[in-house]
Amino acid sequence: MAPELISSLSLWQEPFMQRALIGGVISGILGGWVGSIAVLRQLSFFAEALGQASLLGISLALLVGLSPPVLLWPFALGFAWLLRELLKRSSLSADALLSLMCSGALALSVVLLSSLPGARLSLQQLLFGDILGIAWADLLPLTLLLVVTLAYGVTSRRAQILISVDPVLARSRGVAVETHRLILLGLLALVVAASIKAVGVLLISGFVVIPACVARLLSRSFNVYVLLAAAIGALSAVVGLFGSAVFNQPSGPMVVLVQALLFVVALLAGRWVGQTTTAASVDRAR
Amino acid sequence: MTASLLEVNDLCISRAGHEVVSGVSFALQPGSDTAVIGPNGAGKSTLVQALVGLLPHQGGTIRLLGHTLPRSGRLPREVRDQVAYLPQKLLLDGRFPLSVSEFVRLGCSPCCNHRKAVPAALERLQVSHLRRRLLSELSGGELQRVLLAFCTVHPRKLLVFAARRTGRDPQAAVQLQELLQQLRLQEGLTILQITHDLSMVRRSSDWVLCLNRALCCQGPPEHTLSREELERLYGRDYVLYEHSHHH
Repeated sequence: MAPELISSLSLWQEPFMQRALIGGVISGILGGWVGSIAVLRQLSFFAEALGQASLLGISLALLVGLSPPVLLWPFALGFAWLLRELLKRSSLSADALLSLMCSGALALSVVLLSSLPGARLSLQQLLFGDILGIAWADLLPLTLLLVVTLAYGVTSRRAQILISVDPVLARSRGVAVETHRLILLGLLALVVAASIKAVGVLLISGFVVIPACVARLLSRSFNVYVLLAAAIGALSAVVGLFGSAVFNQPSGPMVVLVQALLFVVALLAGRWVGQTTTAASVDRAR
Repeated sequence: MTASLLEVNDLCISRAGHEVVSGVSFALQPGSDTAVIGPNGAGKSTLVQALVGLLPHQGGTIRLLGHTLPRSGRLPREVRDQVAYLPQKLLLDGRFPLSVSEFVRLGCSPCCNHRKAVPAALERLQVSHLRRRLLSELSGGELQRVLLAFCTVHPRKLLVFAARRTGRDPQAAVQLQELLQQLRLQEGLTILQITHDLSMVRRSSDWVLCLNRALCCQGPPEHTLSREELERLYGRDYVLYEHSHHH
């Protein structure tokens, strides 16, 4: 273990590791913020559907000979819009419709990928992420997305809370509810598309949702909740990347595993704090 | 005579192609407490939502605080800042991490100083001790006080809300009415409430609108809540049922 640890520490000096670290932290912050709002609006399964549909976007890009990232962002936006319209117009329940779209997109993308002569991407990288493959060119759009998302997050804070509390109450206070919903779905789609490289198609919804769930267990205010979700997203990316290097495992599962472990710790800590608080209240009452 | 705070003339509202409210006219005097009563499906929620700019109206005029509302319903900013609306039931998720003081602060307009206004509103509604509690941890009565703090953190002229059915927590309903009367006297707040509690209307309202798609009658409670008017509004069976439960 010790020699592996030393060699993995020296890996941090390599440019590809530094790129991966920057990319992981940015994706983690993005996933944490957008996930914190998505969880409040019960959009977790929406993130899952977008993640799996992204594989279809990648397959289509390969089919027409484009670089996957070029097509993936507009594809994710288009798919999110399509899902929203279908959810508005269909008589099916949201979970049934999302399940249908999710499975349909996944099935189509697997058929397309297997029919491609000499697939140019490993399926494992697509499914579980290849954060070490992040290039400097990938970091620019990711950074731009971070700036736009954070600026929107700060300026729309009041609207986001009011819509999550009650959309009618939000409208009565002059919030443009539909516009903010559309922007959030667009950002969720872009964050999912941007983070596919780091965590892969299968684990993307966990990557977005788990930091928010951990933060929820530990927060007693909205501000703390959102900041904590973003911080947990970034921290789990760093620790997961480190684990990926030490154990020579794909990056996506390692990052999501760290998030899941943090959730268990938060759950236990929350129970312990709850019990202590209850005991203290009983003592005070006596 | 003082100018009306709200004047509604021959108002018609349609939803999904059906006329839900037709030919409604009334006025609210500043500082008054008006109750909207009527059977289920009478268009009470539709009416108040149109008054606060949440629904468009197809005919008639709404003049609120000196501004004639456009048919699209959207309130001008200067009007919106003086009106508070509370839906009957908040769709609040029980796991929402939002503290009481964070929520009340959302009621501030951009020009108000929240550092002073939020503690003052919490103090006025006697909920300062709850400021760090999560909204989802409050009891029904506590939540009502916090919602009123949210509505009045910024000085407003009109409060429009739909009271909950009082079956499960009658004490909280009485406390809410006491608080409302207190705010009405102290702050000159005008109140328009949808309610099903006729005994509460008798006690605290000074004007009643009896609505069943059109206005059946309006006036002070002693006239509008007579047995004949209630039979006309709700039907004979309902009035007999109410009578047997309250006597």
